[in-house]
Amino acid sequence: MEPLGWGGIFAAMFVQFIPVWIGMIIVFVLSYMYRGRLSLYGKLFNTIIGQIGLGLVLFWVFTALFADWIILFDPLEQVAGLKNKKPGVPHPDLEGMYYLLGGDNLGRDVFSRMVAGSQTVLAIAPFATLFAFMVGITLGLPAGFLGGRMDTVLSFLANLVLAFPVILLFYLLVTPEIRVTGIPTVLAAFLFLFPIIFAWVLFYSRYETRPDVMYPLLAGTVIIGFWAYSGLAFNADPLGVWSMDPNRLNIFVSVVFVNSPTVFRIVRGITMDIKTRDYVAAGQTRGEGPFYIMLWEILPNARGPLIVDFCLRIGYTTILLGTLGFFGLGVSPESADWGSTINEGRKLLSIYPHPALPPALALMSLVLGLNLLADALREQSLKD
Amino acid sequence: MSDYDGPILEIENLHISFFTQAGEIPAVMDFSCTVMPGEAMGLVGESGCGKSTVALGVMQDLGKNGRIVGGTIKFKGRDLGQMSERELRDLRGSEIAMIYQEPMASLNPAMKIGRQLMEVPMIHQNMGKQDAYNLALETVTSVKLPDPARILNSYPHQLSGGQQQRIVIAMALMSKPALLILDEPTTALDVTVEAGIVELVKELGETTGTSMLFISHNLGLVLETCDRICVMYSGEAVETGSIEEVFDHMRHPYTQGLFRSIPLPGADKNSRPLVAIPGNFPLPNERPPGCNFGPRCEYFVAGRCDAGDIRMDMLPDRDRHGTRCLRWDEIDWDAELAASTHSEKTEPGDVVISVDDLKKYYEVNASALFGGGAKKVVKANETLSFEAREAETLAIVGESGCGKSTLAKVLMGLETATDGNVRFGNQDIAQVEIENRDVETVASIQMVFQNPFDTLNPSHSIGSQIMRVLEKFKVGANQKEREQKMLELLDLVKLPRAFAKRKPRQLSGGQKQRIGIARAFAGDAKVVVADEPVSALDVSVQAAVTDLLMEIQRERRTTMLFISHDLSIVRYLSDRVMVMYLGHVVELGATDQVFAPPYHPYTEALLSAVPIADTSVQKKHIVLEGDIPSAMNPPSGCPFQTRCLRKDKVPGGLCDSEVPPMRTLADGHQIKCHLPQEELDAMEPVITLAEVAAE
Repeated sequence: MEPLGWGGIFAAMFVQFIPVWIGMIIVFVLSYMYRGRLSLYGKLFNTIIGQIGLGLVLFWVFTALFADWIILFDPLEQVAGLKNKKPGVPHPDLEGMYYLLGGDNLGRDVFSRMVAGSQTVLAIAPFATLFAFMVGITLGLPAGFLGGRMDTVLSFLANLVLAFPVILLFYLLVTPEIRVTGIPTVLAAFLFLFPIIFAWVLFYSRYETRPDVMYPLLAGTVIIGFWAYSGLAFNADPLGVWSMDPNRLNIFVSVVFVNSPTVFRIVRGITMDIKTRDYVAAGQTRGEGPFYIMLWEILPNARGPLIVDFCLRIGYTTILLGTLGFFGLGVSPESADWGSTINEGRKLLSIYPHPALPPALALMSLVLGLNLLADALREQSLKD
Repeated sequence: MSDYDGPILEIENLHISFFTQAGEIPAVMDFSCTVMPGEAMGLVGESGCGKSTVALGVMQDLGKNGRIVGGTIKFKGRDLGQMSERELRDLRGSEIAMIYQEPMASLNPAMKIGRQLMEVPMIHQNMGKQDAYNLALETVTSVKLPDPARILNSYPHQLSGGQQQRIVIAMALMSKPALLILDEPTTALDVTVEAGIVELVKELGETTGTSMLFISHNLGLVLETCDRICVMYSGEAVETGSIEEVFDHMRHPYTQGLFRSIPLPGADKNSRPLVAIPGNFPLPNERPPGCNFGPRCEYFVAGRCDAGDIRMDMLPDRDRHGTRCLRWDEIDWDAELAASTHSEKTEPGDVVISVDDLKKYYEVNASALFGGGAKKVVKANETLSFEAREAETLAIVGESGCGKSTLAKVLMGLETATDGNVRFGNQDIAQVEIENRDVETVASIQMVFQNPFDTLNPSHSIGSQIMRVLEKFKVGANQKEREQKMLELLDLVKLPRAFAKRKPRQLSGGQKQRIGIARAFAGDAKVVVADEPVSALDVSVQAAVTDLLMEIQRERRTTMLFISHDLSIVRYLSDRVMVMYLGHVVELGATDQVFAPPYHPYTEALLSAVPIADTSVQKKHIVLEGDIPSAMNPPSGCPFQTRCLRKDKVPGGLCDSEVPPMRTLADGHQIKCHLPQEELDAMEPVITLAEVAAE
């Protein structure tokens, strides 16, 4: 069988990505139709930059979602005859199947590994960032609003974490010796409490005056919160719905831990700005408690800068995950994640550039998309 | 260029549009005006009417979205639109100078005043350093700043707001411009400081012969500074003419509406209430066909006023007096206001809140970085005593730093008093913070805030914000009852019930302020502290909001503490007035007593400083020198002694050494002044209404 030319390769990849194209078209058409009602998100469609950013991000989101349909081979399957083969090489045994982007040094399909790698990134980066935001918001709001000694202590701790070299911190957190001490689990137990505290205070401050609404919400928070908590932090969910692989938990905790101080500082700064507004004073003059004011008067108005930072931070986390994978930290040896694949491809880069380039380009395009999205969101939120 | 003697500025049929995502938005339409040498032209209108856009158009500085789409602007006969960027740069700052609202924003904070001033002639006239310095010294002296050499050697932040604005004016004058554009030059300043700047601008106009384009929303200010006026509405000039013509023989319904909605001397909340212009300012992309003012005009005739574009019509037999009204010769302009509602004066009831010897001191660390440093005490409120009765309006008047906002905070419980009592009902609330007040007390003392754009949380809908207040005040048993009550509150402030679903950004400033009022009255408040509730609103909306506030107060017999710096509105609506200066109450009495001699010298200056938009008013001219001292570092003795013009009338230098005692002049009229009785008795009224000569 003849190897495929570049035209054939791209045509075949385009066909493989069909589920992604369909998903993107549906999202774009629906969003565009209802953009008038979608506030900030809808305004993205006013800018080319925003549409490109959204497109790139959606592409990878759908790729991760439909990865099982898109990949052609098992990302771990090795075919001896396809080691370091050029893109477009036909599979020796299967008629009509090709290694679209060639094979790597172990004879695995580069294309399938790239697609599968998106799953690792998108399973961790957005959620880890979300947790980091939970922690940062829960601590940053009182620090900025109440100030005083608590602010001094929390800011000092945040600076301490930020001053510590990130890579070194990761090395420490994911090395087996440290894992044996249980520090990551303790950290997880600590960090994963914040979403529950956040939700509790959120509902309590809002519905204090309406017990009929408050009690069900608080009960729900506690039940769902601690159910997920037991599964995620200790891998001890009695029903087995929530669970996290210990390797993944390590990465997750590390990422949350290094990201939350920055979020804390951003939230604290915005809070100090917004607390001087008249509507905050109006809340105080009707006897609102500090937590209602923080969570219901200040936080909603801080959402603009926070959403922008959220996008940027996912990108930053994506790079961080790549770095971790590159150093082989916290991932299984054969993992298809982009960092690891780049590292493996790096060794033969001067002779065979094709195994390292696709994951590198994938990482770059996702981060670029997130940054463009953040830029467009910032620009659009300033208008109006 | 020097032999040119035509008009300095000729604007003909100017059209300016901004191009945005939503398409072309016309900001100025068919605008024409002429400014002759030495003439001061006032450009008046509400926010969004395009007056600042005209100024930017003259400077050819419309940003990347703005463009002149029609008409010409000629400066000394030369078309500015045809000039190159280079020619324009030479012109700006030398021939045409502009003064902006915020002085601090016009000065470079990292550069000494002297260097900034010297730059102007050094760039435009290639003047030598020494000559430039001498010129700067001369100019700073001419704007009446004390100790010019020291000022030239200081940084902007070392000067007060008034001094900064004088420097900005000096900078504009450095190159002896032929045209000076002033965009709300005094809006950011206090009234007594404003009076000084206004006097300066007027004098400069007379001595240097500079033409001026004076942009303001304040008709009184324009009356005091300008020769001619141009009233703008929604992008169009609606009336233009000399000051006397337009003020006394207005021929456009909008101008008339403006004058009826500002509290002039003689207006009274019971016998001659203000008449607000109904409706709202149209958005630039929602202008009606025909006359822009049509939908709000009481003389509107369907089929005529909305038929097509209306041209500026010059009135015959008048000096360049034009109006953009089709029916100017059909309307009876002198007709008395029909159906002005008379309401009974409400009799005040029992004392609701009484403040006795209230003191509020703040401790400030002199150096924030090292906590151990010396502490400074800011005396924000010093021995305040007053009481307010049911259904009474007590106005609290003063300029920035006088302690009126601190007083409001203490009353609300956001701060606790250092000393003294605040009796409300049968309890002393001076030391009780809001967290420790019971729901009833919290609901009974409520506040209306100053800034309409800040008073509502932009993230929540109007309805939910009011509902939250009701929830907090334990009004209504369940959500359904509260929702009903919320809708009734919307009715109370005369807003459609559909507004409950809207977000604050969909409301105009006046509408937001109405929601603020609804919120304050949600829990049947007994005392409402209104902190400058209308000062940030446009003139035509102010009247409506003020009247609404009065009406609700009258119905519910609420005690209102009306904080304001605007004496016109205070005279209009208050029963009693309390004048504050640097934390002290300097005068307290019934409105008639405070507005008639004998005055406290500060009250006298304040009365003289407030511009009044009425040509028949004669004002005694009192301009205070200097600025308000800082509360961190108050003068010894009488707080007002540094600026008092009557200080020399007190024997023995008493003013420097002793704080004057509160003395009672007449029943309920107290002042804090050392002036001997005969001096007080000899005082003349500041404002006199001249007999209106029969036409």
